[in-house]
Amino acid sequence: MSAQGIRTIAVLELRQRLRTSRWPIVLGIWILIIGAVAGLTWWAVSSQPGDPATTLVGDRGTTLYDVVLFFVLGLGMLVVPSLTATSINGDREHGVLATLQTTLLTPADIVVGKLLAAWAISLAFLLAASPFLVWAWIAGGVEVGRMLLAVTVLLFVLAVVCAMGLMFSALTARTIASAVLTYLTVAALTFGTVIAFLISMPIMATEQTVRVKTVPDAWFQQNQPANPDNQTFTEPTAADCVYVTRVQSIMHTERTWWLLALNPFVVVADAAPSRKPVTFLGFEPLQQISDGARAARMGTTAQSLNECWPETQPSQEMNAMSQQQQEQLMRQEQQLQRDRLNKVPAVWPYGFVFLGALGAASTWVAVRRLRTPIRRLPRGTRIA
Amino acid sequence: MDAGAGIEVTGVRRAFGSVLAVDHIDLQARPGEVTALVGPNGAGKTTLLLMLATLLTPDAGSIRIAGFDPVAAPQEIRATMGWMPDGFGTWDALTVREVLETVAAAYRMAPGQARTRAAELLELLHLGDLADRPARVLSRGQKQRLGLARALVHHPSVLLLDEPASGLDPRSRIELRDILRQLAASGATLLVSSHILTELQEIADRAVIVARGRSVAVQDLNSGSGSGDESAHRVSQWRITSLDPPRLMAALAHHGVATQTLTDAVDVEVAGDIAASALLAQLVGDGIPITAFAPSYGALETAYLAATEDRQ
Repeated sequence: MSAQGIRTIAVLELRQRLRTSRWPIVLGIWILIIGAVAGLTWWAVSSQPGDPATTLVGDRGTTLYDVVLFFVLGLGMLVVPSLTATSINGDREHGVLATLQTTLLTPADIVVGKLLAAWAISLAFLLAASPFLVWAWIAGGVEVGRMLLAVTVLLFVLAVVCAMGLMFSALTARTIASAVLTYLTVAALTFGTVIAFLISMPIMATEQTVRVKTVPDAWFQQNQPANPDNQTFTEPTAADCVYVTRVQSIMHTERTWWLLALNPFVVVADAAPSRKPVTFLGFEPLQQISDGARAARMGTTAQSLNECWPETQPSQEMNAMSQQQQEQLMRQEQQLQRDRLNKVPAVWPYGFVFLGALGAASTWVAVRRLRTPIRRLPRGTRIA
Repeated sequence: MDAGAGIEVTGVRRAFGSVLAVDHIDLQARPGEVTALVGPNGAGKTTLLLMLATLLTPDAGSIRIAGFDPVAAPQEIRATMGWMPDGFGTWDALTVREVLETVAAAYRMAPGQARTRAAELLELLHLGDLADRPARVLSRGQKQRLGLARALVHHPSVLLLDEPASGLDPRSRIELRDILRQLAASGATLLVSSHILTELQEIADRAVIVARGRSVAVQDLNSGSGSGDESAHRVSQWRITSLDPPRLMAALAHHGVATQTLTDAVDVEVAGDIAASALLAQLVGDGIPITAFAPSYGALETAYLAATEDRQ
């Protein structure tokens, strides 16, 4: 493997692609979609009632950032496999691979060169979406460091997808087969991991004796009047809560959370969520994905066994407060929840390492498959 | 002769699953010579060339190219071998010049060197006018010339050419013949597979005939390119035409020359050019009305037909 050899292949690939494919149209459609998503998000955030500084909406930039990055990743996962999934077997079909294999280029030169070219194109797609990320940054609320980390992890995930495409195109003779396999693998990583996690939940659940803080049944027997219409009804207060011991089914998501960590969306989302205290707008996918993954890793905790609702939802006191005070209280409560989740170690490094290993293994397999002379010719493949 | 140079194939065998593509091929191609590889379709020529081109491992037997084993030392062979496959593709979007510069870069040439070499080859193969056209617009013959240029990029000393003449117009064929002879004269080893026997007869020094995956015969071809003393004594066929065939036959019998009668001419076997010219002088001296006396190019055809007779 040499820099000169890799460059030769990368330049060849980029030249071919820029001259033959309809990339300006694809890039145009890409910018239109991302732009439309960004515009609609901005409109939705801006039309929330109230002053952003005091209401639950929070910073508008964080929402825009979150949604744009989510769509860049989602659409990227659809576009990027097409860059490499037919690369090697396509070259074989066109009869241009064998003539390269008989030159002084090594298999690693060819594979890494192709990978680099495909990755450069996904970089171009990200650059085309970057004005919208800059817009989110100007709108405020997202740190530059976080944004850069998110973009770096995103590019890493796309490189892994490129490598998987290359592997399948080296393994199969037909371009359709490799394209289908690549998309299936991407689907398995994005949907399969979530489905596996959901299935694992009831399987891993155990019947356990737990201590729960709750309003005891005895309290209701004492304080609830026989006639429901009686206006002297009193609400229980936090002081009425006691600890009781009971047997109940407990989910052990802390044993299977790693299934979620393998998900590319979780990796990107957890690497760089906006981490704002309030999550009140309906759609902040990355933040929600990250929160979900960390909650799963946290598993069942003392907090989640607190059923003392007068304590967790102080409704009576709230009724007496002004709306501003109520929002203030909810903000505090949500900040508390955010702090709890922030204390959970990050989930994404596990997925990062896993995807890195997957990408490296894919590249290695592709390189191996390009080694010549070949001893065993796989079914249906041609050499030249 | 240098034992390390050229191509040496001994007892090579290669099967694809249950299909035996190459059963047992022995072959020798010497530096400074053009060796032809002829045989019917499916005889194993292309499989053999793939093994020589360091792409396929033989199941048995040994191959030496410029002294190297293609399985153990493919990189060394690639540095000195040019391969022009049959029915290759090309990068459609690149211009002819860019194709050659890319191949040069693949052979680790520096950009400046690559540009110079590409220009030389464009000149040599008369592709100068097409240099900046995309490779996809080339005709089949032009593509063949580009393929040959590509195989020559790194000044190889061993050339493997699979059907180089197919699709070429007559002028390009003659030019191809001259280029190949020139390369051979400069000491390169050339192995050329082709179906066009008369043409090979003109280009090649020797022909290896393969059928059903086996090398069945080696035919010496008097290509007349004057490879010194050797050609002066080589037994070859000459074709004589006379106005009076019976008298010609009688005279040949009188001089003790082996003959093979054809409908309108007679083929004789003569050892070397000097003996041939002496025979002609004798026949003319005998007063035989000779109208033509020329090397017979039917030798390869005859050998080929004899070797592949059992074909279904």
